[in-house]
Amino acid sequence: MHIKIDGIDVEAKQGETILECALRNGISIPHLCTHPALPPFGACRLCIVEVEGMRGYPTSCTTPVEDGMVIRTNTESLRMLRRNILGLMMLEHPSACLVCERRELCDRYRSRAEKVGSTTGCHTCNNKEVCEVRVLSADLGLAEIISSPKYHYRPVERSEPFIDRDLNLCILCGRCVRICKLHQDKPVIDFLHRGSKTHIGQAFGKNLHEAGCTFCGSCIDVCPTGALSDKYAKWHGAPDKETATTCIYCDEACALLIYAVKGKSISAKSLDENVPICALGRFAIPEFLNSPERLRSPLIRINKVLRPVTREESIARCADLLKDYKGKSFALICDITSTVEDRHVLRKFTNDVMKSPYFFELTPDREGYAKFENIPEEVTAVITTGNFIPQTLRNRFKVVVALDIFHTEWTKSADVVYPIAVFAEVGGTIVDKNNQFRRLVKACNAPGESRQEWEIIQDVAKLLSNGNWKEYSSVSEVTKELGIQDSSLTIGRKEAPDPARNLKLRRTWFRGHKIEEYVLGLTAVRKYEEQETLDVSEPSASIEERRISKEKFSVLSKRELVPNVYEFIIYAPAIAEKAKPGQFVIVMVDESSERIPYTLCEWDEKEGTITLVVQEKGLSSRKMIGVRVGEKLAHIVGPLGTPFEMKNYGTVVLIGGCYGIGAIRRLARELRNLGNRVICISEARSHYLTYYENELRQVSDLLIQTTIDASLGEKGHGIDALKRLIKQGEKVDLVVAIGCPFMMMITAEETRELNLKVVCALNPIMLDGTGMCGACRITVGGEMKFACVDGPFFDAHLVDWDEVRDRREAYSDAEIQAVSASKPVSIGLEHNHYNCSCMMY
Amino acid sequence: MNASMSDNFEKGQTQSNPPEVSKPKKGAKVPRQPMPEQAPEDRRYNFDEVPFGYTPELAILEASRCIECKKPGCVEGCPVHIDIPGFIRLIREGRFIEAAQHIKLQNSLPAVCGRVCPQEEQCESKCILGVKGEPVAIGRLERFAADFERASGEVALPNIPPKTGKRIAVVGSGPAGLTVAGDLIRLGHDVTIFEALHEPGGVLMYGIPEFRLPKEIVRAEVEYLKRLGVEFVMNYVVGRNSTVRELVEEEGYHAVFIGTGAGLPSFMGIPGENLVGVYSANEYLTRSNLMKAFLFPKYDTPPIRRDKVAVIGGGNVAMDAARTALRLGGDVTIVYRRAREQMPARAEEIHHAEEEGVKFMLLTNPVRIIGDERHRVVGMECIRMELGEPDSSGRRRPVPVPNSEFIIEVDTVIIAIGNQPNPLIPQTMPELQTTKHGTIVVDPDTMQTSVPYVFAGGDIVSGAATVISAMGQAKIAAQSIHRYVMGLPLK
Repeated sequence: MHIKIDGIDVEAKQGETILECALRNGISIPHLCTHPALPPFGACRLCIVEVEGMRGYPTSCTTPVEDGMVIRTNTESLRMLRRNILGLMMLEHPSACLVCERRELCDRYRSRAEKVGSTTGCHTCNNKEVCEVRVLSADLGLAEIISSPKYHYRPVERSEPFIDRDLNLCILCGRCVRICKLHQDKPVIDFLHRGSKTHIGQAFGKNLHEAGCTFCGSCIDVCPTGALSDKYAKWHGAPDKETATTCIYCDEACALLIYAVKGKSISAKSLDENVPICALGRFAIPEFLNSPERLRSPLIRINKVLRPVTREESIARCADLLKDYKGKSFALICDITSTVEDRHVLRKFTNDVMKSPYFFELTPDREGYAKFENIPEEVTAVITTGNFIPQTLRNRFKVVVALDIFHTEWTKSADVVYPIAVFAEVGGTIVDKNNQFRRLVKACNAPGESRQEWEIIQDVAKLLSNGNWKEYSSVSEVTKELGIQDSSLTIGRKEAPDPARNLKLRRTWFRGHKIEEYVLGLTAVRKYEEQETLDVSEPSASIEERRISKEKFSVLSKRELVPNVYEFIIYAPAIAEKAKPGQFVIVMVDESSERIPYTLCEWDEKEGTITLVVQEKGLSSRKMIGVRVGEKLAHIVGPLGTPFEMKNYGTVVLIGGCYGIGAIRRLARELRNLGNRVICISEARSHYLTYYENELRQVSDLLIQTTIDASLGEKGHGIDALKRLIKQGEKVDLVVAIGCPFMMMITAEETRELNLKVVCALNPIMLDGTGMCGACRITVGGEMKFACVDGPFFDAHLVDWDEVRDRREAYSDAEIQAVSASKPVSIGLEHNHYNCSCMMY
Repeated sequence: MNASMSDNFEKGQTQSNPPEVSKPKKGAKVPRQPMPEQAPEDRRYNFDEVPFGYTPELAILEASRCIECKKPGCVEGCPVHIDIPGFIRLIREGRFIEAAQHIKLQNSLPAVCGRVCPQEEQCESKCILGVKGEPVAIGRLERFAADFERASGEVALPNIPPKTGKRIAVVGSGPAGLTVAGDLIRLGHDVTIFEALHEPGGVLMYGIPEFRLPKEIVRAEVEYLKRLGVEFVMNYVVGRNSTVRELVEEEGYHAVFIGTGAGLPSFMGIPGENLVGVYSANEYLTRSNLMKAFLFPKYDTPPIRRDKVAVIGGGNVAMDAARTALRLGGDVTIVYRRAREQMPARAEEIHHAEEEGVKFMLLTNPVRIIGDERHRVVGMECIRMELGEPDSSGRRRPVPVPNSEFIIEVDTVIIAIGNQPNPLIPQTMPELQTTKHGTIVVDPDTMQTSVPYVFAGGDIVSGAATVISAMGQAKIAAQSIHRYVMGLPLK
């Protein structure tokens, strides 16, 4: 069958759709709801084409090819239609960044997404680097948002294990609903409500477990936006490597794709898109492998204490200890989660080098548990590759060499301990439940000095065999010696493995370690199963009780001003009494918190209160916004920093963005009281992200609101409004810019030629805030300054903005590790509308 | 020694049963007793304290070495003039708790001083036994007595005379502040300590590492002062929350003691000092000690766990930073511009660092720190130095060897070249006279500043110095404040 697409003759197959045919022939047609793993749906209508002889614009994903069809995919009218379709879709998705004129600069200046709660723009979206919407919008040349976008104010759902859901990003393509129907016997999620209230969710406000979710994660894999995300993987950025390998949690041996960033695994999914895998394979591998509890260095016992030593020292000690135990006094115990190659070398070592018959390969039970008690009485020296032997038998052994991944009672009582590589960190072969050879491919690096079992034992063997050991230089040599040729990655599985259909059939142990101790989401799953309530979001006292307490540092009021930005009113009379405009405080939420600086936005001397505007942007601010009304913050110190110099400057323009909208409020009022003409510019990406309009109007002679999508006030950033003001003849004596570094940086860069004095407020990482530690130092005009005592205000034209950005990101890797646990979190909202019947949305 | 104060202790509570050990004869030929400690290869992997301290038997044995000279040089050598032969005699007699209380007449922080004082330059340097052999281990005995008392749970409180009604504000809760507070509360005054950080103790808390001074000891000393009635106000920055003048004029304090220390880190002024991975020793140690970053992620402050660490400087703080970095898993090198003999750190600290595996790159000075495109440290360029003529400090001045530059591979640089006084209070009190180095000018006999009701002591007066010298000044200041508020002549 032949058809013509955009003037090119192509061969078409009976029964395929136009879209399939075009994609197969390398002709791209924009599409969104279509996904290779899913049957055609025809919902998004982006893939419309023109077909000669057919009326209107059929969707290519649902139209089958017919012989002789003449199809056009890229006419001007199609492009315009698609742009409008996408534009309409973008009315309910945070889309301002897609039409921002400084989009490229922004991508360059801040390439990594910020770890926010609610995503309201691309640079705070965990999906940014792989977003299909961003690609489409660039391809289609989306330049403006046609009318005022709608934000649904749906609280981000973070109280489930493994999966975070931010429905404000959802474009209702239905991929998740369809894959769920396809992969699970009964659909867990579906479209709920109708019309503008349509959203994805579980019926009757059930949680995922109650609705029958097995946490196969397929919904995340197909989501084109950041609406569904993998809690653990989400802030690690786009993977730089994907590797196909095999899961060894159980003998189903599912084929996996492991994604890694800089050698560290961050997520896994089913290699075969038509078959889901279980929650262990999908979510429990990276968190397990990257656990900070992993053993990293060989340990040997010196003066009764295990201490880290070099590889060579540990091998020499091991050989020295074992040399007197050749024969039946030695045993080696491993289980079949070790590769065939590992076990081959271990067996050879036991039989040929140690001359012992006691090589034991354990087979785990259904829970993955492998225990071994029937050790022959004559054995007094053992090597183990996991936590298999009851500690009560420990005293029977004179020498214990433990190869393992985590410390246990067993390793802590061993004479030599080696960290080993497991799972996606190793290459080789395993045997699945059908006795098929399955291939393991190394997909990520093991921590520290960890190595594969055979490598460690071979080193010991070399010392104990008097030169008779035939050395293997790689795992493939062992594979070859074993004559294994037909190991495969996939086995063309047609059906989901048992644990993917019924999560209760999952393994709970691996090498004698309880998996859930290292993968926090599994604890939540177990609690679900045991019908325990998750300890996520119950307020500690009744609202009446909580409102009356007026103790030092207690939170009197808290509200979400706009998505991801919260206003706190806190009782702190000593600070309120002394605060001056421009100063800040340092907050510790509890005794184990970081010390985080927040600008004093407002204060009331009479009431003894201070007002802070807090953006969720990582671990500490997440903790902060979880504090409920009536609760107390552990420590607040302030006011800190050099106050803004208050005098009559003439005309002052205050530009605030993000938390800065709050930060300019008091400054504006006091400057105006001193006779300045005060112009406030509040910048936001869209109308639903601006706040304090009335408050700012009251304290300024002129308030200009700007939005990047032009949905409210003037279009663009604050700097655009400033430039227009100047063009209109406004004589500006001073500009103060407070907001994120990007906003202050562009304000500085684009005013360089205008002969304007621009002052910005810097908010870097701090510890003490009184000049003692120097963490907050920055370069201003080539000189070292401490933001805490010399600042926070500096001449924006003299600041090294790249340095400001990089110093703020100094700990981002450690922070990603800390926020990545798959543990369900609650942000302690006073009223979570998502699960209530008030129908707020 | 102040005899009236010794009578303040409640009799009876201070008796303890001496343990059953043989008592060697006074002055017998007993060698100086070493203190048992963790082996270097063990301790470099933990944050536990290095020495275990004397056992009662060892303490009695060591105490027996003291010959009780008529004119004890040790007392002279002690900045706070502890009656050293007196407390050593009590230890020899097995009266350990009394010994501790005897020390406390002069020194409110014996458990701290027994650990961090440079005794080899002070009391022990004046010990007569040191002329021909080794001096009595005064520091170790002091530490023993204080630890014994704390462990016994019998920390007795002295009788406090009737309240004078005078209120004294102490700014800063470091060694000077705690000493002043301890002395003044025992004279019947009301004392409030203002501290900017969230935990009291100043440098004892944020600066000196756990393995050298367990924080539990600092907390116990603070607890003791609280039991005596000292009020602690945390998270309070004098100079921001109130000025010194406001404390007196509005808050009703009769005198103010400033013990804010030398908490402003010096940098070298070489290129690359603002790179990510360059830390002041203050920041590095504060993260680890005060914020407990080594327990991340249990504590939220991220640690600085890197591979190749260079510590610049040769003082005690440099040793503390190097040994902390070692415990966080780094390969640590101290880079110092003079030779080992000129290192200002205590010999014992240098020895400890070396034993644990810290490397030393001597006669070497950094020229610039090298970063990558994300402002992260990747290396450091250094230059070889040689020793020239002696400078004003009497030490031979290091001079660069021309064309001897070389690059070392590092990912973390900790700058431990000293601290300057924190300028916050002088800035907010122009009438307070300061030197060009930023230290506060005082009358050394009274520690009174140019403002009559303001007294000062510790590093804010002397620049970066030791814990015990701060305490020595604090003791003088406490006496002067007492005289000042009671209307007595200061001298």
